[in-house]
Order: sequence, then C-alpha cells, then structure tokens
Amino acid sequence: MFGFEAIIAHDGLGISVIGISIVFVSLILLSFAVSRIHKLIGLWDKRSKYYNRSKKPQQKDQKTPSVLVPTLPQDVQRVSRQFKLLIEWMGEPFPLPKLLDLSGKCGLSHPHSTINEFIKCELIIPAENGYYILNKQVEEKILLLEEKRSSA
Amino acid sequence: MENLLIEFLSNTGFALADYRNIIMILVGIIILYLGVAKEYEPLLLVPIGFGILIGNIPVIKDFGLGIYESGSFLNYVYYGVTHDIYPPLIFLGIGALTDFSTMLARPVLMLLGAAAQIGIFTTFLGALAIGFPPNEAASIGIIGGADGPTAIFLTAMLAPRLIGPIAVAAYSYMALVPVIQPPIMRLLTTRKERLIKMEEPREVSKKEKIIFPIVGFLLCCFLAPAALPLLGMLFFGNLLKECVVVERLARTARTSLIDIVTILLGVTVGASTQADVFLTRQSIGIFALGAFSFAIATASGVIFAKIMNLFLRKKINPLVGAAGVSAVPNSARVVQMVGQAEDPTNFLLMHAMAPNISGVIGSAIAAAILWSFMSL
Amino acid sequence: MSTDIQTLKSLDLFADLNFGELEQITPLMHLMKVTEGEVLTRKGEPARTFFIILSGNFMLSFKEERSFTLHNKGNIIGLSTVVTPFRYTGTAVALTDGLVLLMQGQEFLRLIQSNSVLGDKIMRKINKIVSERMPYMTGGWGKRRH
Repeated sequence: MFGFEAIIAHDGLGISVIGISIVFVSLILLSFAVSRIHKLIGLWDKRSKYYNRSKKPQQKDQKTPSVLVPTLPQDVQRVSRQFKLLIEWMGEPFPLPKLLDLSGKCGLSHPHSTINEFIKCELIIPAENGYYILNKQVEEKILLLEEKRSSA
Repeated sequence: MENLLIEFLSNTGFALADYRNIIMILVGIIILYLGVAKEYEPLLLVPIGFGILIGNIPVIKDFGLGIYESGSFLNYVYYGVTHDIYPPLIFLGIGALTDFSTMLARPVLMLLGAAAQIGIFTTFLGALAIGFPPNEAASIGIIGGADGPTAIFLTAMLAPRLIGPIAVAAYSYMALVPVIQPPIMRLLTTRKERLIKMEEPREVSKKEKIIFPIVGFLLCCFLAPAALPLLGMLFFGNLLKECVVVERLARTARTSLIDIVTILLGVTVGASTQADVFLTRQSIGIFALGAFSFAIATASGVIFAKIMNLFLRKKINPLVGAAGVSAVPNSARVVQMVGQAEDPTNFLLMHAMAPNISGVIGSAIAAAILWSFMSL
Repeated sequence: MSTDIQTLKSLDLFADLNFGELEQITPLMHLMKVTEGEVLTRKGEPARTFFIILSGNFMLSFKEERSFTLHNKGNIIGLSTVVTPFRYTGTAVALTDGLVLLMQGQEFLRLIQSNSVLGDKIMRKINKIVSERMPYMTGGWGKRRH
C-alpha cells in the first residue's frame, strides 16, 4: 500500500494530529507552569512581609511601640550588650577584625553573622579610617526596645 | 604449509570483501572527514565514522567477531543501544550540562520547540505514504527531532533493524545543520524580520532553576509517561546541576559519563551499519525522508515564530524558530550566525537556546507518543 | 560547580561584555558555597584565586586591622590575583553563609592575554576597584562601605 491509501489504512492522520497536539499541550502547560514559578517564588520570599502586615493590627491592639530597629533579630539584640562591653574595652574607633577575634575568644555564638547584623542595621558604622564606631542613636533605640520588652 | 597459507589468505578481509564493504568503508571515511576536517559534531561523527570502519571489515561468520553475533565484544556493547540504556544516560549528561535559564526567562519561546516537532509527524506521514510500515515510519519521522539519542531510543523500541541507518542519518543531519538550515531560514524570512532585536531575558533565580526540573519532570511524564526514561534522566541531570549540593555527581554526569556513553554508542551504532543492513533501498528512503524531516522541522519553527509575532507585543526574531529542532547547541549557533550576517550587533544565541532546549523536551515527548501509539 | 552566562551578565564586572566574551569566561568561573567564618584569602599569601560575591556578607581586613565589609552581589575579593603584587593584601572572611564565583588567577590571566579587548574591559573595572580600596591597603581612608 502506498500514498494516501497507506496513510488512511494505518490511521496516520489521526496519529499525527493527536501526536502534535499532545506535544503542543505538554509544552504549553510546561511554559505556563514555568511562567508561574518565579511569581510563586516571589510570593514565598515575601511571606514574612505579608506575615508582618497581617500582624500589624494586632500590635496596635497591644499598644506596643513601633519597632525602631526592624531588621535586628531578637537574639542579636540580646547579645548586643556583650558586644558593646567588648567595644568599650577596646575603645573607639575600633578595628572590626579585633572585635571579631575577641567575640570569638569570649565564646559568643555566631560572632561573624552577629557582627554582620550590627553592620546592616548600622549599630556599628565605619569611621573614615578603616575602623568602626558604635552608632549611639541605634544603640539607644535598642536599649529602649529591650527595656520595653523586659517591662512587658 | 601451502594449504595453511592459502586458508589464511582466503580468510583475510581482502579475500572476503565485496564492493559493498568498500562503499561502506568510504562512507565511514567521509563521516570521519566531516568530523575531523570540517569539525561537524566531531564528538559524534568520529566514533560513528570509525565504528563504520569496524563494522565493515569483512570477517568470517560465526567467529564471534561481528556486532550481530552473540557473545562478541561489539555485541555486548551494542546491548546498551538495543536495550535503550545509552540514550537515557546521554540525556542525564545533557541535563547536567544544560542551562535552562533562557527558556525559564521567556517560556513562550518553548512553543517554537513544539512547532518544530511538526516535522516528525509530517515525515511519519511521508514514510507511510512511500510504503514503510507504521513502526518504521515512526522511527524515520523522529529523525526530524534532530536528537540522536531520541532517534535511537525510539528505533530500538519500534524498528531495531533500522537503528544503523536511522542513527547515522540523524547524527549526519545534526552535523549538517549549518548547511541545511540557513537557506530555509533565509527563504522564509524577510530581511526586516531577520533584523529584529529581542530584548534581554530577565534574570532567573537559583530557586527557579532548582524547581524547574522537578515541575518539568512531573508535568511532562504525567502527560506522556513513555517519555519517562529520557525526560526522567534529563530533568534529573539538570537537578544535579542546579541544586549545587551534588556537584560531584553533576560533574561526572556531564563529563565522564556522557563521554563514555557517547564513545560506546557512537562506535556501536557505526559498527551496526554493516553493508548488508545499510546498503539497501530502504536506507536511501530513510536518508531522503530524514532530510525532508529536518527541512520541515526548521520551516515549521520559523513559520510558527512569524505567526506568534502576530499576537506578541514583544516581537521575536523568526530565525530563533529554527532552533526548535533540538540539535543542541548547533542549531542555536546557526541562528546566531544567520542573525549576525544581517546585523553583527544582534545576539540571538541566548534567545535561540530556549527553543533549542524545549525542542529536546518536545522531541522526547513526540517519541513517547509515537511509541505509545505503535504499542497499542 | 559551573555557572551560566546570565549570572555573569548580571555582575557589574562583566556587564559590558558581549555574549561571545561571556561564553569564553563562563567555563572558567566556578560556584562555591562558603560558610560563616570561612577564610577566603589570607594577607601575604600568594594570590591564586579571585572571588565574586553572589550572595552573603564578607569582611576584608588589611594592615593595622583596617577593614571594610562587602554585602552586595558582584563585589570582588582577591583582586591581587590579577594585579601586582600577586599576593593577597588583605584577609577575607565570610560573615555569613554565602555563594561566590571563583576563578583561578592563572586561567584569568591566560584569558586576558589571549583576548586583549576582553582583558582591557575587565582590567579597567578592576583598576577602578583597586583605586577605591587603595587607602585601606596603604593606610589612608576611603569609602565607608562598598
């Protein structure tokens, strides 16, 4: 059998039409799924933001003060006092590697990431000569926050 | 002693050879020439070309030497071809090698990878029309997918005796992509279209790259379960690459493993093209249909890109449609070459990689569908 | 771990490079995970590797314990790998877990030597960064944070 007759006999047209349709459907679905992935990841990454937003009204009810140092985790806030003592002992401006070294020797946990948090929330800021100083304003805010928490 | 010498001489290749062996050895030398001198897909053509030489040395029958004689070295190695072991392993390596980010950045380009598969089904119809039975027609059609492992995978399932000619046709045309595609691309596009500059793809996050192989695998294999061996390995390889924590495995998959399997596959596929199997009228038909399949696949991709442009706000350069015919990354490079010939400042390579990679997925799905239909 | 062209293109150091140039660099760059406290370079040691930050936070300290911190994607560590004296002038420590791209200095120099246009583009940017960091190395003062 040859020609169109052979195609019809073996249901070639049906196989081809269904086949190419399935290929298209598969890749359209995959394309759709792929186009959603980054949006879903975006939502997932911002979940803490949404969570905080949903928490806000509750905070208002409790009449707690607005957080002045929003990016500093609580455990880091707690150890800030110990770091402050080390800085006072070294004197300002102080070299950052020395603070790192001392905090490690004193057994403070995760000194590297803690110092990083301090820098990011600007509790520790660079002086103009490659050394660092404590930012008094942020320090006061942290103290205030801690007092409020302990009184609560 | 004289008898011994005569017997020995009568058993040498010189005495056993006929004109068909010589023709096949010449074919092997041409393929080696293309691989070595022209550098067309040398990693594939050199093993295949030398395999053809190995397979066409005339040897005494039942001496345990030939690839089709059970117990021979070549027969053992050929087991990986006939039992579909090598193609999924190559897909594992391809997955561990390939960066899917351009595809993830602009998923709409994946449709071009689907459009190019029209070539497979058109050729399937063409092969039926000239008298091939459906299982062989399906195996011939898959040449248009421009994916050697996929072509071997399907042929081993549906028409094992055609593995040699189909694999050689598929790999030869893949190697000849820079020759076959440009005239078709130029014919179907205007200069204005070839000058279209596509905007930079967005940055794709690491998380997206890690999630994609899992989502892609689940989606594709739920839709076309027969694609499991190929796509399972492809997406697994890609997960190894992207998840960062198993770099040793990813490196092995994309270097040592894929190299070893390519050597074994290439040599045995080459050796399977023995004159009595290869030099037939069928093979001429397979080669002719293979070229037709490639041309249709290229044209389908380009035309579909032009159709998409009617609806898209951000226009795509129709040349990238030609990359839908897998042949990673050769056809993407051809797109870049043709695009730059018009405008040296136009960089289409990364845009072409998207349909190029989706073409791999598309051709594996097409193979799975054909396999399913033929097994019903 | 290898990287991809898109990641490189997003980095300031390679932003001006075309696709072909990025393609040359991609195989030379390798991804590396770093953990908090890990030392990437030590002052005075031969500079064999330079690093580009993809994520994480790092501290670079120089003589007299002067230091600055790096927090942004694309910031570079180990510039001495490609400029004199080919010895690290500072110590780099990871303050948090992170991901960096690293390139062996030898490979980078070979690349720069084999493609002078590409080399020029990259070296211009590197020289700019070196001049910004010079006060920390020499004892003057410079920018507050990078």
